[in-house]
Amino acid sequence: MAAKADRQQKKDGLGATISRGVRGFGHAVSSFFKEIGAAFSQGDWRTRTSFIIMGFGCFTRKQFVKGLIYFAVEVLFILYMVFFGAHYLQDIGTLGTNLFDREWDEANQIWINIPGDNSMLILLYSVLSIFLCIFFLVIYFSNIRAAWQAQQMQTAGKKLPNFKKSLLGLLDEKLHVTLLTPPAIGVLMFTVLPVVFMICLAFTNFDRNHQPPGHLFTWVGLDNFKDIFGGNQLKSYTFFSLLLWTVIWAIFSTFINYFLGMLIALMINKKGIKLKGLWRTLFVVSIAVPAFVTLLLMRNMLQDAGTINVLLQDVLGWTDAPIHFLTDGTLARITVIIVNYWIGIPYSIIITSGILMNIPADLYESARIDGAGPWKQFTRITTPYMLFITTPYLITQFIQNFNNFNAIYFLTAGGPQTLAYYQAGSTDLLVTWLYKLTVQWQDYNLASTIGILVFVICAVISLATFNLTASAKREETFQ
Amino acid sequence: MKNSIKARRRFGNGVVYVVLAALGLLWISPIVYLVISSFRAEKGSFLDGYIMPRGYTLDNYVRLFTDTDQFNYPRWFLNTFVVAVCSCIISTLFVLMVAYALSRLRFKMRRPIMNIALVLGMFPGFMSMIAIYHLLKVINLDKTLVALVLVYSAGAGLTYYITKGFFDTIPKAMDEAAILDGATRFQVFWKITIPMSKPIITYTVLTTFMAPWLDYIMASVIMKDNYQNYTIALGMYRMLERESIYEWYTAFCAGAVIVGIPIAILFIVMQRYYVEGVTGGSVKG
Amino acid sequence: MSKKTAAILLSALMLVGLMAGCSSTSSSSTGGTSTPATPGSTPASTGSEAGGDSSTPATGGENISLRVWGPQEEQALLKEMCEAFAAENPDNTYTFEYGVVGENDARDRFLEDPAAAADVFMFANDHLRDLVKASALYEVTRNRDDIISRNVEGSVAAASLDEALYAYPMTADNGYFLYYDSSVLSEDDVQTLDGILAVANENGKKVFMDVSNGYYIVSFFFGAGDNIWLEGDAQKCDFNNEAGLAAAESIKTFTADPAFITGEDAIITGGMGESIIAGVSGVWNAEALQEKLGDNFAATKLPTFTLNGEQAQMGSFAGYKLVGVNSLTSQPVAAMDLANWLTNQENQTKRFETRQLGPSNTAAAADPAVKENIALNALAMQSAYAKPQNDVLGGFWNPAEAFGNALEAKDYSVDLQTMLDNLVSQVEAG
Repeated sequence: MAAKADRQQKKDGLGATISRGVRGFGHAVSSFFKEIGAAFSQGDWRTRTSFIIMGFGCFTRKQFVKGLIYFAVEVLFILYMVFFGAHYLQDIGTLGTNLFDREWDEANQIWINIPGDNSMLILLYSVLSIFLCIFFLVIYFSNIRAAWQAQQMQTAGKKLPNFKKSLLGLLDEKLHVTLLTPPAIGVLMFTVLPVVFMICLAFTNFDRNHQPPGHLFTWVGLDNFKDIFGGNQLKSYTFFSLLLWTVIWAIFSTFINYFLGMLIALMINKKGIKLKGLWRTLFVVSIAVPAFVTLLLMRNMLQDAGTINVLLQDVLGWTDAPIHFLTDGTLARITVIIVNYWIGIPYSIIITSGILMNIPADLYESARIDGAGPWKQFTRITTPYMLFITTPYLITQFIQNFNNFNAIYFLTAGGPQTLAYYQAGSTDLLVTWLYKLTVQWQDYNLASTIGILVFVICAVISLATFNLTASAKREETFQ
Repeated sequence: MKNSIKARRRFGNGVVYVVLAALGLLWISPIVYLVISSFRAEKGSFLDGYIMPRGYTLDNYVRLFTDTDQFNYPRWFLNTFVVAVCSCIISTLFVLMVAYALSRLRFKMRRPIMNIALVLGMFPGFMSMIAIYHLLKVINLDKTLVALVLVYSAGAGLTYYITKGFFDTIPKAMDEAAILDGATRFQVFWKITIPMSKPIITYTVLTTFMAPWLDYIMASVIMKDNYQNYTIALGMYRMLERESIYEWYTAFCAGAVIVGIPIAILFIVMQRYYVEGVTGGSVKG
Repeated sequence: MSKKTAAILLSALMLVGLMAGCSSTSSSSTGGTSTPATPGSTPASTGSEAGGDSSTPATGGENISLRVWGPQEEQALLKEMCEAFAAENPDNTYTFEYGVVGENDARDRFLEDPAAAADVFMFANDHLRDLVKASALYEVTRNRDDIISRNVEGSVAAASLDEALYAYPMTADNGYFLYYDSSVLSEDDVQTLDGILAVANENGKKVFMDVSNGYYIVSFFFGAGDNIWLEGDAQKCDFNNEAGLAAAESIKTFTADPAFITGEDAIITGGMGESIIAGVSGVWNAEALQEKLGDNFAATKLPTFTLNGEQAQMGSFAGYKLVGVNSLTSQPVAAMDLANWLTNQENQTKRFETRQLGPSNTAAAADPAVKENIALNALAMQSAYAKPQNDVLGGFWNPAEAFGNALEAKDYSVDLQTMLDNLVSQVEAG
């Protein structure tokens, strides 16, 4: 199913991929500088002027539009740096020095506030400026290359491609550039840049005592990491307990969920069961209502005085006292997992039932001839086949559940609180803890540190599983 | 012998029916209860010691559209709808572009890009919300619906994986034939691959269309105090604050039902494509 | 929609985005030369005036634009008051921009981006310290003496920190007291918690209090004479002393009583008049409860509870809602005058008349209509035993909730003294 090259890569495993990547990168870098060097030593005056005035080489060789674009980029960049970027970049070492101050204004009987530096904006705009610098450098070198190539082509007596032709090239042999650039800009702006900013925060002391506009924060090195890894006992205990719970939660919400969904799907698809469409719709309808609504609804229903306790106690009379679904630590953990099943299983049902219908019948046929019972068929054929097809889905699900903010936040908000943890409750996942730390407690530094750790854990888990399952896939016979 | 097998099967099916009925009841009852609550005449979020409402009314629905001073439900609904439509168009395009480039085109940075994208998708997104807000402010888009569209669709390229798997299953021979006939690669993408990818497009459209209806946190950070530009989740959540929950809880349920109906229809109709989509085309329903 | 239209739409959108990007970068960069620290501030908050002009007094003829935050329920009233303010000051032209931010969210929304926050905003007094610490609030110096003299003492204290006044008291009603059903409970019954519980058990009814909430659980500790206070920046708390242990025993007895019911605040509005005969809550539920109970609607101060065999009066937190001025506002004089206007006697009375909010203004509070308001009257009775919430830092709430949770769940695996010690150490660590 996957392209051959993909399988090749998966076979090599992660280590090989990385080492090959590094080597390839090294080659690319060295050949790149050789080219730039050649452009400088062997280029004519037009090429060399391009080192200072971008687009000059292209422009004077009649590639007007290309030349103008390069020049415009240079002008815009310089304007940006002069009026905006430089001011912030120069403060990146200290993250600001001017404190908030005020002067007395006798006439109006007020203090005139003089705003100081805003460390957070300095950091954010510095990161932004650094990104733009890198972007500019890329364009700058491409400008030199363009000038150099144009010169070489001219000496060789070839006709230079005009702008229209280059544009057309973007729809053909350079199509990948066209296709990848807009999404890449989106990802750079709204994922990479914020993430870099966030990573930076983990090395500062941006907490509730160092907040703008009144206060500055600055770099503190690895202090926050030391805090979590033993420096502060309560914090590190909380971190590791929540990590354990988060992993348990993610496993239950992903794999058990998946298997239960598969079981229900098997039942619906069982031979002789009528009204298959009705059964499936019954489960699927729950997807329609936005999850935050159902979660809030469930929260209401599961309260001590909520509908479910009323049902059990007053209507059916099965219990004497309300069951503390959401206020008893252990019970609350079970409750959130079960409620999450209610939300997640319908998805599993649709996905698995679709695939189940497509398992080649001859696989079962031959198994039956070999004397395999239903259980053996299930473990030997159904399960491996399903896993084979849905592994990527399962891994993304696992990561999503690991970071399943909504389910916990709307259902229990992490509660019930417990004295055993630092500002966290029994059902808090790492992400909800992190959210509490930022929003209620303004400990941005600690939150960022946890964010980085969560990321590392997720990355390791998913890269490892991708590789493991990739090797498992080779042995599969379903293709 | 034959009879006993039949009997056993019938018994087995009976058990399955019972289990399915029980589970189905379990699944459907909260939804039914939501619908019942949305018609409830008594106000408040808790009923005391009884379950079925004592009176029914349509007021909860009427009020969502008439009593808009405090909670402008129609406006928020429209906001969300516009954002959902725009962001699902952009997201879908982004996903298709990335997936196609990584699946069909061969270029130097292909492999590194795939690995980086895989890893980047794992950052807990809302950690970077505050940075995103300030970036949007730099380009003067904070508190706008455009900002929401950007935020919901900007990262879409990272979720290329499933779509790429789908493209991988389309035979390459077709592309090659077209290119021999003089088509550009873009034409191949636009005129051959896209029309063949209906299931995966439906899947992407479905999932990205739903995101704005469900998101609360991101929208709240970006919209801040701009009430007029709230999305449905943001606005409806406000109904449950301690000052308004008694008056508005039943209207909240009504609002949820109204949101739910189109999504339910969409989902039931599109179910088949959804399955094909998520399995990356390994299954042709 | 055809693919072509979609593509055109998309490209137009990106173009606009890019253009917006360029234009704003240039405009904010020119602004950056005069006030380098806040080039990011939006045009809306700096208004039509450049930042540098703010020092000139509002002599008249100016265009002043102000952004005002208030909760949803307040919006209509807020508009009316702001327009009245503009009419009162015809020398200047005012433009107002309204944002919906509830008093409880104001701090968080503000600190996320002070430069884009409102010039004038409403907030709950327990967030005052955080806001002052971040230098978010403009110190109130104009009309200071007048403000202090016309508002009740507690509200002024709640708006002040270290002798400096930072906000304008707006309401004095953000506290809690006891609601009860007068068809079941007599005035004598509601004097003591034991009395209420006895009647409840007799009738098979319930008494509501959200004990797993730091806001309410303190009433027992305060009643026992314990306190939570600040030493410098450090939170101190003595809930683990002998009196605290006794209070914890009382909480344990209360939560173990069959008539005790807990949960979200909304439960009281569901059960009152049915299975709940009394409950602890605040004025925000007054209207709903009045509707449910009709003539049986009654409220009073919190009852006494049995502490070491004797009766002790339950304490409480007294909360106030305040109006603050953004320290980064470009129009401090106008903003302060507006804040002053929004909290004057006339407007506090108006707020009471339309929204039943209890005035902090002494003259407005003396109005017989206010005195006759059942809920506000109960709050006033309780105020003698209430403490301001100013000295409670954010680190208090989660541990307090955890403690309440353990008792509500009847989880006695850890003895009370250890739990209290944990509670105090976490509160003080926060």
